[in-house]
Amino acid sequence: MSARGHHGSNAMLRLLARFERPFSRWFAAECNPFHHLGALTIYFFWIILVSGIYLFLFYDTSLSGAWLSLERITHEQWYAGGVMRSLHRYASDAAIITMLLHMSREFLRGRYRGVRWYSWFTGVPLLWLVFIFGITGYWMVWDELAQYVAVSTARLLDWLPVFSDPMVRNFLTNETVNERFFTLMAFIHLVGLPIGLVLGLWFHLLRVRLPRINPPRTLMAGSLIALLALSLAVPAVSHPPADLGIVPMEMRIDWFYLAIYPMLDASSEGALWAGLWGISILLCALPWLPPLKHPPAAIVHLSDCTGCEFCAEDCPYGAIDMVPRTDERNFALEARVDPALCVSCGICTGSCPSSSPFRKQAPLLSGIELPYFTMDDLKRRLEAAVARSPGPRARIVLVGCDYSVPVAAVEEPGVAALSLPCAGMLPPAGIDYLLRVGGVDGVVVTGCDAGDCHFRHGDRWVMDRVARDRMPKLRSRVPRERLLLSWHKPVDAHGLKAAIASFRQRLEALPTAAREQRP
Amino acid sequence: MKLPRPMQLAGQAAAWTLFATVTGVFAQWPVYSPLAAGHGELKLSMAHLTERLEPCVQLTQEQLRALPPNMRVAEQCPRARAHAVVQLLVDDAPLLDTAVRPVGLARGGRAYLQAHWGLPAGDYALELRLRDTPRDEGFDQVQHFQLSLAAGESVLLNVGDGDPRLIPGRRPAATPQED
Repeated sequence: MSARGHHGSNAMLRLLARFERPFSRWFAAECNPFHHLGALTIYFFWIILVSGIYLFLFYDTSLSGAWLSLERITHEQWYAGGVMRSLHRYASDAAIITMLLHMSREFLRGRYRGVRWYSWFTGVPLLWLVFIFGITGYWMVWDELAQYVAVSTARLLDWLPVFSDPMVRNFLTNETVNERFFTLMAFIHLVGLPIGLVLGLWFHLLRVRLPRINPPRTLMAGSLIALLALSLAVPAVSHPPADLGIVPMEMRIDWFYLAIYPMLDASSEGALWAGLWGISILLCALPWLPPLKHPPAAIVHLSDCTGCEFCAEDCPYGAIDMVPRTDERNFALEARVDPALCVSCGICTGSCPSSSPFRKQAPLLSGIELPYFTMDDLKRRLEAAVARSPGPRARIVLVGCDYSVPVAAVEEPGVAALSLPCAGMLPPAGIDYLLRVGGVDGVVVTGCDAGDCHFRHGDRWVMDRVARDRMPKLRSRVPRERLLLSWHKPVDAHGLKAAIASFRQRLEALPTAAREQRP
Repeated sequence: MKLPRPMQLAGQAAAWTLFATVTGVFAQWPVYSPLAAGHGELKLSMAHLTERLEPCVQLTQEQLRALPPNMRVAEQCPRARAHAVVQLLVDDAPLLDTAVRPVGLARGGRAYLQAHWGLPAGDYALELRLRDTPRDEGFDQVQHFQLSLAAGESVLLNVGDGDPRLIPGRRPAATPQED
């Protein structure tokens, strides 16, 4: 276990992992929809945009023509306009599902605190924007449901001390409905909110390095087919046209967007505003509520930093800048860590070429390392693991991470484990060292499920370094058959054990590992 | 342990079916009615200019001359207006009794009031009482209306600057409650 403790045993995380695990088996981990909820939400907005543009071609933005034009779109060209309308609606609902799941998942995994406050905080206005987007969309149909939404929204807004002439007076009778007001709503839905949403997304992703904007093609195709099938099976249709002389009854309400209105009927405008603002303020404040955790930021040792920039390229949170050299050494740049952005994952240690246990320096320093888990600590733990893995059978060192399977529980005779904050913290030279100097027969590197690294890119960087696609590369002399990369959900100890058992069998068929020098 | 491809595809199909089902179901179900069956709606909308608290005064020529040229208006009216006190009785039972402050920082605008109630379909005697002058007791207007409310109908009682009016809605197609 690393100095910060293991998180994979957290009951809530284990429950979440247990729920998501079947999806990793059905879709393959890298295509698990739960690993791409944010990207799926953006993808659904692409569907909404394309279908919305199609609908706009035939939609009449006037009060008198809106309902009729939608009837024509829905029924006269059901195979195109009707399907587009249904897709527009169901993709909007799907976006709410994935957006709320995305938010809940990030919350449960604790990924809303510290450095991540910015993405969390900027996500809250996005929630408002998305809901307003949906509500104005229903308004544009100008059927009985739109009438209910318009009147209720006006009542809600009139409670605020903003308008002197109450908005609800626009909706007293059919004669008082203002054509211009309706056109304004259409403008907000078609132009204002899309611009706001794009800006909001830009802010939301501003501090995310290499964000996943698009989900894997499997998920794009699967979700589109599912929404198309739903659109054909249960097409979206209008209610009767709006008539302010009646009360809309028996409405097929879209609970994803419109649930606040029945809540308004059951309570009061003041209570609903208090609830909405209360939830929003609570969500905004969550990153700063106790228990506050401030892991110490990575530190740079200029004596061992060559300004190679690998750490700055690998840092998933953009916490490292390369700045002009401040010492006398003959390098152009040096790394500088912004403590406000550092999540203390240690991936920078894994990317630093000076993070090599082969070096004889004492104490061993890296160009950049975690103050509570230095390169010297890492070397000692690697050596301790080697010492704990004797046995007649193949000797294996298992390197895990604090957010996946608790590797201590997987230890068995001949398998010694150590846990790092992130698998990406293990420098490729560490693997080489275990095999060459430690003389173990095999090394297993494990961590969060593929594509679901707690620190976003740890698994990806390890795979790229081992595949020699990313610096620092694993040396070509390292026998690949003695290395296993195995990614798992925290609850998948069984899967990890099975992978190790299978690996061990393969190792035992190999000649005994050559040992350069026992530590 | 990797699943065989057919099992994977079956799992994916099940997952997307569940996703589409949840999306489709809550996009339109359960059906919602803002009013109980057999009920209609009575809306009250008031946008009424009440009387000023202080009457307008005519300035003398001497007073006008003392003012800057751009402010020489012969009639000076203090802006504040009286609260509108509204009572609505349905079959002699009080439904509403409130005092409405005119809008504006100086209380110089209209008194606005919007309210709505769900009532069982049927015939009602409405009595609207309105005090719109600075007096402390009594009412300046008392109006009586006969309301015949159908289920699903939305009737408007509009209180403007003139006489209040009861504007019937549209009576929806006959329902069992109306038979």
